[in-house]
Amino acid sequence: MPQLQKRFNVDPRDFVRAGEASLQVQRMLRNIGFEEQIIRRASVCAYEAEMNIVMYGGKGELVLTVNPNQIELQVNDDGTGIGDIGAALQEGFSTAPAEYREMGFGAGMGLPNIKKNADSLDIRSGHDQGTRLKILFHLTGEPR
Amino acid sequence: MNNQSPLCTTPVHYIEIDETRCNGCVLCMRACPTKAIRVHEGRVAKVVGVCVDCGECIRICPRGAIRAIASDKRDMAEARYSVVSASTVLYSQFGEEVTPNDILLGLKKMGFSYVHDQSYTNEMFNVAIELYIKENKKKEHAPWPLISPVCPVVVRLIATRFPDLLSHIPPLAAPREIVAREVKMRLSSKFGCDESEIKTVHISPCPAKMICIKERFFQDHSYIDGAVGISDIYGVLKKNIEKVEEDKVLHHSGGMGLGWGMSGGEISGVQMNCLAVSGLQETINYLEKIEMGRLSNIDYIEFRTCSEGCLGGLFTVADKYQGKRYLQKLVRMYGIEKRVKYDYVKKLYRNGWFFAEKNRYSPRVTLTKKTLKERIERQKRVEEILTKLPRKECGHCGSPDCTTFAEDVVEGRASLDDCLYFCGRAPSTVSLKEKK
Repeated sequence: MPQLQKRFNVDPRDFVRAGEASLQVQRMLRNIGFEEQIIRRASVCAYEAEMNIVMYGGKGELVLTVNPNQIELQVNDDGTGIGDIGAALQEGFSTAPAEYREMGFGAGMGLPNIKKNADSLDIRSGHDQGTRLKILFHLTGEPR
Repeated sequence: MNNQSPLCTTPVHYIEIDETRCNGCVLCMRACPTKAIRVHEGRVAKVVGVCVDCGECIRICPRGAIRAIASDKRDMAEARYSVVSASTVLYSQFGEEVTPNDILLGLKKMGFSYVHDQSYTNEMFNVAIELYIKENKKKEHAPWPLISPVCPVVVRLIATRFPDLLSHIPPLAAPREIVAREVKMRLSSKFGCDESEIKTVHISPCPAKMICIKERFFQDHSYIDGAVGISDIYGVLKKNIEKVEEDKVLHHSGGMGLGWGMSGGEISGVQMNCLAVSGLQETINYLEKIEMGRLSNIDYIEFRTCSEGCLGGLFTVADKYQGKRYLQKLVRMYGIEKRVKYDYVKKLYRNGWFFAEKNRYSPRVTLTKKTLKERIERQKRVEEILTKLPRKECGHCGSPDCTTFAEDVVEGRASLDDCLYFCGRAPSTVSLKEKK
């Protein structure tokens, strides 16, 4: 079964280039030719995850792995980590400082949005331990 | 996804490359926003991909080897009634002494049975945009920002490179189409004839507007029967303007309808949170921003791929900045007050007057019969080849950049040996060897 993997680096605190890695993910998926709906869901997840790295992550990366059965998006960073994963999954829960909120980020919708759009989400994190997300999208049938 | 017209999927293009003039330089290939041009095998540029009619290759070619395949004037010959409408850019082409009305009378003198001024419809369209924005804000419909449907290059660029943004284009018909539709309807009832006996011609500042009337991508059937470039009729029209004696008033709009040729002209009459962006590269930059979810605080963006807007079109004659000065003067002269009746336009809007018959554009992607498995395999090979390439993006191989070259290799359109760096023929490596 053919499997393609590609890494996209994300720089912390770089709000000018923020969103580029997820755009690359989106372009790669479109290039291969997945269904528009699944591309949109994956792009939303990639974008939210990337913004989390930019805001809290330290150095991080998005790792996209695709095969004919699924799209997997791994998100790794060595940043501050999530102290309370259950709370972070609540809509509106945010630890973002005021400066991020002023820029229009940090509304506490990131992880909930990922969970809503993904078929499965696995979070490994802890205080000061960095964060590992594994986001899955199942492909049902032969698209297009 | 599957109900595309056949024209969307094939690499249709309306440019012609003169092989005797082309020397195989890579300027056009690099300028192309959809990477549609190659200079593989030999020395002549070829169009292999999906063209959006932006005209960048024509502008950049230093040898004048590329031209747009222009319109066919024969369409008009057999018409019983011929109607002409012109892009308001035409009003900027004859200097500040010549008024829009003089130009319209000049067109009449050229022998058209009926001349219609588009500027009034432009003002009506401004109101329609306001109504559409307000309506969608109330219902929280429509993704923001909305993108103007007026420039056909922008619409095709979005369908080709940013298909996700197609939903940002409101299903409104461009004023030039509305004008042709209404004129045909009115005249056919006035003269008691069939609409097919009336031929409408549009005077266009660019090849794209000419081409879009023929393309089923834009509409199943255009009300415009033919189009000619401003530069095609410039000389004849100028002489006819000088001969005008008639004193009829054909122009009715205020300044807001006249300024549409300039970048910002369309939105200046819209009292909403709007932006105007012009130039191909800037348009692409801003579409990328929208794709990344930015600018959603803006209601409506007027994109024009020609710099300074339609004044910078390939078929204009006057200098675009001079033309801008004349248009600005016209706007001041005729005032910023709209002359259309708001309530009347609102009624027309409710009746669907402004809406396009085809209200959604389809993405223009080349459909492939390959299975998902094969497509992943293909992408994997592209990525593998990419790791071997220098990423100098030089274009010597005949593809516009390394990524496209890798795709061409996988598709069998190019060979890895075409890369100067890969096979050690690049100038820097050669000179290094010679020094040793």
